[in-house]
Amino acid sequence: MNPLKPPPPNGPHSKDEESSSSEEEDYMTMTFSDSPSTHPSSSSTTNPQKNPTHANKNETSLQRRLRLRREAEARARPKSKAELAAEADARREAALSQSLFTAQPKSKGLAMMARMGFTGGALGKQQPPPQQEENPQGRGGGGEGGEGGLGEGKKESGSGGGGGARTEPIRIEMRDGRSGIGLESERKRKLREAAEAAGERAKRAKADEGEYRERMRREREEARWERQFVAGQKVAERMAGERDEAAGEHDGKGVVSRPLSGIPVVWRGLVKAREEAERDRRMRYDLEQGLARLPTYEDDEEDEDDKQALGKATTTYVTAEDLDEEDPELEEFSALPADEKLQKVVEHLREEHHYCFWCKFTYPDEKMEGCPGLTEEDHD
Amino acid sequence: MADSNKNLKRSSAEREGTQDYKRMKTNGDGDAMDAKPNPYLAHLDEDFSSPLDDFERHKTTALQASKAEDSDNNPWTGRPHSQQYFKILKTRRDLPVQKQRQEFLDAYHSTQILVFVGETGSGKTTQIPQYVLYDELPHQTGKLIACTQPRRVAAMSVAQRVADELDVNLGEEVGYSIRFENRTGPKTLLKYMTDGQLLREAMHDHDMSRYGCIILDEAHERTLATDILMALLKQIAERRKDLKIIVMSATLDAQKFQTYFFEAPLLAVPGRTHPVEIFYTPEPERDYVEAAVRTVLQIHASEPEGDVLLFLTGEEEIEDACRRISLEVDDMIRESDAGPMTVYPLYGTLPPHQQQRIFDKAPDALRKGGRPGRKCIVATNIAETSLTIDGIVYVVDPGFSKQKIYNPRTRVESLLVSPISKASAQQRAGRAGRTRPGKCFRLYTENAFKKELIEQTYPEILRSNLANTVLELKKLGVEDLVHFDLMDPPAPETMMRALEELNYLACLDDDGELTTLGGMASEFPLDPALAVMLISAPEFYCSNEILSITSLLSVPQIWVRPNNARKRADEMKQQFAHPDGDHLTLLNAYHAYKGAEQSGEDVKKWCHEHFLSFRHLSSADNVRAQLKRIMETHGIELVSTPFQNKEYYTNIRRALLAGFFMQVAMRESANSKVYKTVKDDQLVMIHPGTVVTSPYDWVVYNEFVLTTKQYVRTVTNIRPEWLLEIAPNYYDVDTFEKGEIKSALTRITEKIRRRQAMKGGR
Repeated sequence: MNPLKPPPPNGPHSKDEESSSSEEEDYMTMTFSDSPSTHPSSSSTTNPQKNPTHANKNETSLQRRLRLRREAEARARPKSKAELAAEADARREAALSQSLFTAQPKSKGLAMMARMGFTGGALGKQQPPPQQEENPQGRGGGGEGGEGGLGEGKKESGSGGGGGARTEPIRIEMRDGRSGIGLESERKRKLREAAEAAGERAKRAKADEGEYRERMRREREEARWERQFVAGQKVAERMAGERDEAAGEHDGKGVVSRPLSGIPVVWRGLVKAREEAERDRRMRYDLEQGLARLPTYEDDEEDEDDKQALGKATTTYVTAEDLDEEDPELEEFSALPADEKLQKVVEHLREEHHYCFWCKFTYPDEKMEGCPGLTEEDHD
Repeated sequence: MADSNKNLKRSSAEREGTQDYKRMKTNGDGDAMDAKPNPYLAHLDEDFSSPLDDFERHKTTALQASKAEDSDNNPWTGRPHSQQYFKILKTRRDLPVQKQRQEFLDAYHSTQILVFVGETGSGKTTQIPQYVLYDELPHQTGKLIACTQPRRVAAMSVAQRVADELDVNLGEEVGYSIRFENRTGPKTLLKYMTDGQLLREAMHDHDMSRYGCIILDEAHERTLATDILMALLKQIAERRKDLKIIVMSATLDAQKFQTYFFEAPLLAVPGRTHPVEIFYTPEPERDYVEAAVRTVLQIHASEPEGDVLLFLTGEEEIEDACRRISLEVDDMIRESDAGPMTVYPLYGTLPPHQQQRIFDKAPDALRKGGRPGRKCIVATNIAETSLTIDGIVYVVDPGFSKQKIYNPRTRVESLLVSPISKASAQQRAGRAGRTRPGKCFRLYTENAFKKELIEQTYPEILRSNLANTVLELKKLGVEDLVHFDLMDPPAPETMMRALEELNYLACLDDDGELTTLGGMASEFPLDPALAVMLISAPEFYCSNEILSITSLLSVPQIWVRPNNARKRADEMKQQFAHPDGDHLTLLNAYHAYKGAEQSGEDVKKWCHEHFLSFRHLSSADNVRAQLKRIMETHGIELVSTPFQNKEYYTNIRRALLAGFFMQVAMRESANSKVYKTVKDDQLVMIHPGTVVTSPYDWVVYNEFVLTTKQYVRTVTNIRPEWLLEIAPNYYDVDTFEKGEIKSALTRITEKIRRRQAMKGGR
């Protein structure tokens, strides 16, 4: 009766024994002795062989009572509307998709039709007409007409032995609600397209392992270039600062304050980013300190004491006046690929300071004798 | 009632007309009047001389006929023509078909079968039969002219119109015959009838020998009866070379008819049409009713003068849309000075006087110089071909209609909202171009039109239960149903189901031959199940009651449930409710109606108060009288169980099963609301319109319908023992598939056996 579970070797036994004895065979299915709880719904009377444990003679009266109660509960539980609708739909679809000729081959109706000469296919005027020859066209027309009438129905496959007459009943198409013509198919089409697109992407990703490696390599390289570019910018800034200092140009307050547009574009971005970060930081700091509610600026009429009193002695700072202005030149420069930006900053250092970014050395003149070349590879 | 009143009015108007005519004549020339035969005695004077006497059958010309039409005396009755006649004649002469009268006659003379195509409004339905009348001269040959119509209303109204045009009384020279109503007489020459009625006549007259010419009108509608008539006429035409056949269609796919009828010649008459511009929506609509309402309002706000026709699917939807449009228009008038718009619903079950309102004129502008008013008609697809409404310039077409559908696999027959066909969409658009160039707004995309719509609507024969048709064909002497030459043969499974059902009903024997019961059942213009129930009713001592129930089931719902008084309507219905089910409730309502009638109450008022449809109850009464006559001619006894007898209702419930034992459902489980139909195993619910409150285990139902759910409608409680007793063949337990129903039936068989054994032992 039960191929999965051979009868236990020795007589009646307790719960534990039963579960352990079946362990070898059934450990995957987690069969416990009061298994009704794991699948109560399937234990209806219609298919007892599916869950043979329930009908088992080894069942104790307690177990049996429990099982019966659970079964009754499952039966008595009113099905939800959705469940009912789904079940009714399933039944209908099942019935609609099966031909009556296969469902009821012994039907008397079919027998009568067979007696009239029905051998399958479609109904209608006999196709090979042996006795009537007066108008073959008319006959053909009948069949042809049939085809026209059934039209190019999207879902019907009306054609059969009868020359265009239908062999299958017209399908019942249920419509819910008031959705317009084409909405359903439009929805389906979009779903299909989305699924296809996703499938394509997945396929593409899987298709080429080499491509993945290539991409990874490129990404790393770019990141490295970006880092080197920033390093180059810093060198450029430092060297520019050193040169200004050497030239004796002094800003009395020790605060960098000059228009951003005066900075060469190659490292302007660095300064701008720093200034912005600095401003934000200070503003946040001031806000947290609560003394100066708003960022304060240099006021010529205040002296040190005033500043002290107002709590802004140390907070003075000056941002570049065009920090918030648009800077198309910088934007254009920032949009360049990392390697190009790097190259630009390297060139800038060479021209302005006779410094080679790769040699890490400042040459005395513009000839830069001893430097192997412009690129990193030249310095390998 | 309303109809007869109208007729009364009309005939009195006609009388007045004649009197005027007479007075005028007398005043002008008194002597001449005396020489003429007394028009009131014309019917006694058969030997009047008429221009028709010189006509030679099948050799007449259009000129001859128009002369006869122009003469002072009616060539058919000899009575002088009324003034109204000449007035109508003038409008008739303007119809497009008139120009081709000679062409038509030439074609008619040249062939036995003619295909005639004339678009709606060409005048074909009223004029062609008259042209034939002047050529066939049925008063000489004694062979009538028949013109079939798919709809009863059309047959009646067209017959009335043609009688007016010929200046004769309806029911005399021109008459009509529809199911349950025959208005023809011994003098009748031209007969309008439903296609089904001609089919019924053919059962007793296989060669249709009464007729010299048969005109199948509106053949493009492809009703079940028209399809069968075409197949029959194709056969008859070979036997009877003197029979002429005209197939008339309003659409241009006439080639199919030509090829089917042995390459018959075709004559086409153009209708009066103007170009129609067609608009599609860029995206599919989420809610077509909503979109339709919006479109109508947009037209009203921004398009020039012209009436609007909106197609929707059914009563409820139409009433809903009408309400919404009216409300919105009121707002528009208040807020943006829009013109007035009256909204009329139009659907089949609407009372005739309300249907007539669609012909009312559009309202005038609210003030002088204001925006012009218009009317908006919200209709089902009756407005597609059968009705001609002038003044329509804008058509809104959501692309749906309710279509009957039958599937033999589950035996469900239902009206389902389905997409229309391309041909229908074209027809709808054409409605906009009747008076001047128009616009058609299709609420779907052009792509959807091309890809989603089928070419032609499925002919009814592919969408119907064929039990009745098979019975009729058997009676018509068609032996080989499998190779019967239909234009579109149905699916073989549909045929199989029909034969099987008729076999269970004992109308056909196992060899497929008609039984006595089957022969008798075919005499009733009813579905076989109803007919069998009626015939077997005397065995259950309740044929009077079953006759009433049958009549009530043959008319539309008698219960009225207006939207604004649903609760009261339901309360009223409860007064008639019988705890055992809807069939008995129907019977109670009918008895109460008859009681009110007999006690001399104003029945119309009584019906209104009780939320019953007077129209449908009186038509049920009429049907009952007709059926009673058929029963009497076949010697079916009319008996009743005394009302005091406690078996009174039980007998009726048992008698229902004699016809409807195949429409039984069993409750799925003890506290469930779900039922399972026997054999087909479909899950159904009882339709909410029922009076049944306490659920029964077994019910018999009148119909199995599909809306958003599967429902059985009009149900009555039965006992399963009766099934085994009344229909042992169908309820042969061995033929059932394993399942709950089989086990239930087995239990009952056991119970019966035990009880009998006990009785035997005692």
